[in-house]
Amino acid sequence: MVDREEILPKYWYNVIPDLPKPLPPPRDPPEAEFSRIDLLRKIMPKEVLRQQFTVERFIKIPEDVRNAYLNIGRPTPLLRAKRLEEMLGTPAKIYFKFEGATPTGSHKINTALPQAYFAKEEGINHVVTETGAGQWGTAVALSARMFDMNATVFMVRVSYEQKPQRRTIMQLYGADVYASPTNLTEFGRKILAENKDHPGSLGIAMSEAIEFALKNEIKYLVGSVLDVAILHQSVIGLEAIRQLDELGEEPDVLIGCVGGGSNFGGFTFPFYGAKKGKKFIAVGSYEIPKFSKGDYVYDFPDTAGLLPQVKMITLGKDYVPPPIYAGGLRYHGAAPSLSLLIKEKVVEWREYSEPEIFEAAKLFMRAQGIIPAPESAHAIKAVIDEALEAKKTNEKRVIVFNLSGHGLLDLPNYESMMKRSLK
Amino acid sequence: MRKMLVSYMTLGYPNVEGYLEFIDGAISQGSDVLEVGMKPKFAKYDGPVIRKSYKAVNLSEGDTWELLKETRKRSNVPTIVLTYLEDWLGKLDEFLSRLREVGVDGVLFPDLIIDFTDEYDKYVKVIRDHGLKAVIFTSPSVPDAMIHDLSKNSDLFLYYGVRPTTGVPIPVSVDSLITRVRTLVENKLVVGFGLSDVEDMKKALRAGADGIAIGTAYIEEVEKRGVKSAISLVKYFRGVLDEF
Repeated sequence: MVDREEILPKYWYNVIPDLPKPLPPPRDPPEAEFSRIDLLRKIMPKEVLRQQFTVERFIKIPEDVRNAYLNIGRPTPLLRAKRLEEMLGTPAKIYFKFEGATPTGSHKINTALPQAYFAKEEGINHVVTETGAGQWGTAVALSARMFDMNATVFMVRVSYEQKPQRRTIMQLYGADVYASPTNLTEFGRKILAENKDHPGSLGIAMSEAIEFALKNEIKYLVGSVLDVAILHQSVIGLEAIRQLDELGEEPDVLIGCVGGGSNFGGFTFPFYGAKKGKKFIAVGSYEIPKFSKGDYVYDFPDTAGLLPQVKMITLGKDYVPPPIYAGGLRYHGAAPSLSLLIKEKVVEWREYSEPEIFEAAKLFMRAQGIIPAPESAHAIKAVIDEALEAKKTNEKRVIVFNLSGHGLLDLPNYESMMKRSLK
Repeated sequence: MRKMLVSYMTLGYPNVEGYLEFIDGAISQGSDVLEVGMKPKFAKYDGPVIRKSYKAVNLSEGDTWELLKETRKRSNVPTIVLTYLEDWLGKLDEFLSRLREVGVDGVLFPDLIIDFTDEYDKYVKVIRDHGLKAVIFTSPSVPDAMIHDLSKNSDLFLYYGVRPTTGVPIPVSVDSLITRVRTLVENKLVVGFGLSDVEDMKKALRAGADGIAIGTAYIEEVEKRGVKSAISLVKYFRGVLDEF
C-alpha cells in the first residue's frame, strides 16, 4: 500500500504544451473602451494570474496547499463500481474517482484552496465569487475560512431560493451570500430594472462578483473555464493515474460531465498528457445544449463582458437556462482547452436529457449507494451506455469516470425530477 | 554574439515627421531589426497603448505605401511589416507584391499560427514566393511540438510573445517561459510583449533569449516626453543588451 501523501501529486499539470494545436489566447474585444486583460490584474490574485499565463507543463504545488489538500481528505478514493457492473451484466470494469468525498461535496475545493491561499499570501483579507448550484460558493466559503479570510458569494437567484441548505452551509462557514441579480452592483440593478423577477444566471452573478471585487478592492476567485482552474483540478487525474497503476489497470474510456469544464479537464487532461486512455467523453445537458447548438467563437465568460473574451464553444454570454430544469451544468460555455480538444475530435461529446440522467442516477444509487450530484449523473448515464455497448461487443474495456460531487444537498432537484417523471 | 534589438513603431506615429525621426534614431542607436505596424481593422493581440497609436494615425492608402518606401530607404537593417493576416485575405498576393515593391524585407502576421493553424505553411510559402521573409509569431499557448517545427520554418528569428497582449504588464515568469521553449527552438529566439521592465529583460536574456522586441515602451515615451526621449530609450535598451 502506498500512503496518501505519496499519491497526492507534488505538481499540477497544464495540458496546453501538449495540445494538438495552439490555444487561442484570451483577448480584448474590438473597439474596447477599456482593456479586460489589464482589468484581470485588479481582480485576480497575482499568483493566480501568473499561473494562468505562465504556461508550463508542470507547476509545483506549494507545501501549504498540499497540506490543505491532505487536510480535506485528498487523495479522494478511486472506487470500483462492482455492483453496477453486475446489474448491467457488462464485461467492462467500471471505476470512479469520488470527488464527493471532500468536505464541500465536490471537486470545486481543489482550485478554491490554492486561489484562496495565493490571495492570502498577497495580503488580501476578503474574496468574492459567484455560484450557481452552490458547490463553488461552498468551496470558496470553506477555503476562505481555512485561510482566515472573509468571503462574499453572489448566488444565482433561482438556486438561492431552491437551495437554502447550500446557502446555510456557506453562511455557517462564515460567508455573506446574496441572491443575484442584487441591487448591490450597477450591473445587478440594470438587470433588475429590466425584469425585477429575473431568475439570474451564472454569467450575471459572475459579472456582479467582478464588479463587487473592483469596487471594494478585494479579489475575485474564478471557479472554472480559465486554464488556471483546470490546472489546479489536475490533482484529480494525476491521483487517478497513480491509483490505477497501483491496481495494475490501463484505462480505455474516460468520462466526465461538463459545466464550465474544470472537473472534466482536471480528470482527463493528465491521462491525455500521459498518453493513457483511448476514448474521452465529455457529457453535457440536452437542456443546455452547448455542444450540439453552441458555436466555437470568441465570447465573454461573463454576461456584463468584464472578463477578456476567450475562444470557446458557447451558447452566448446572455444565455439564460430553462428555469424548471434541475440537472445542473447550466453554464453557457466550455473551457477553451476542452473546446479545442472537442473541435479536434480528441474528446467526444454527449448530451442527455433530464429524464435520462434521472434514471441513471437512480440506478447508480441502488447499485452503489452513493447519491450523485445531478451534474455527475450525466457522466453516469454515459458510463452506463458505454458499459452496455461493451456488453454487446463483449469487450473487457476499463471505464473510468469522475463522480464530481455527491447529491445530498440536491435532493430538492431529485424531488422535482421525481414529480416530473410521474406526470 | 550580439543580442538582437527589435524595435517596433506604428507606421506614421505620432505623425509622419516624428515617425521618421524615430526610425532614423532607432537605427542609429543600435536596433538590429525594425518592425513597422500597419494599422489593422482589429488589433487582436495589442494592448490599449498600441491600439491607441493606431487610432492616432490617419494615413491614406497612398501615403501608407509612400511612408513604407521612405522607411526602407532610410534603413540599413532588416525591416519587416507587422499586420494581421485576417485583413488581407483575398488580396494577399497584391499586398505582398506591394511590400516587395517598396523594398520591405519581410512580414509578421501575429494571427497566422493562432487563427490559420491548418494553412500556415501555405501562407509561409506564399510570403517567400514573393521574395519576402516570413517571421513567425508564437506564444506560450502554442504547443511544444509545434514551437519546435515553427522554429525551423521562421525567417530571421522566431518571435515568442510571453504575454497575451502587448504592453499590459500581466505577471508572468519570463524565465520559466523561456526555459520551457529554449531547447525546442532551433533558431534565434526573440522575446517580446511587455518587456520594457529591465529586470524582465535581463531574466529573458539569462534564460537564453537571443534578442528582445520592444514597442509599447517607445510609444508611451513618445506620448509622454516626445520622440527624442524615445530614441534615447533605444540607446538605453541597446546598452542593457550589450551587457550580455
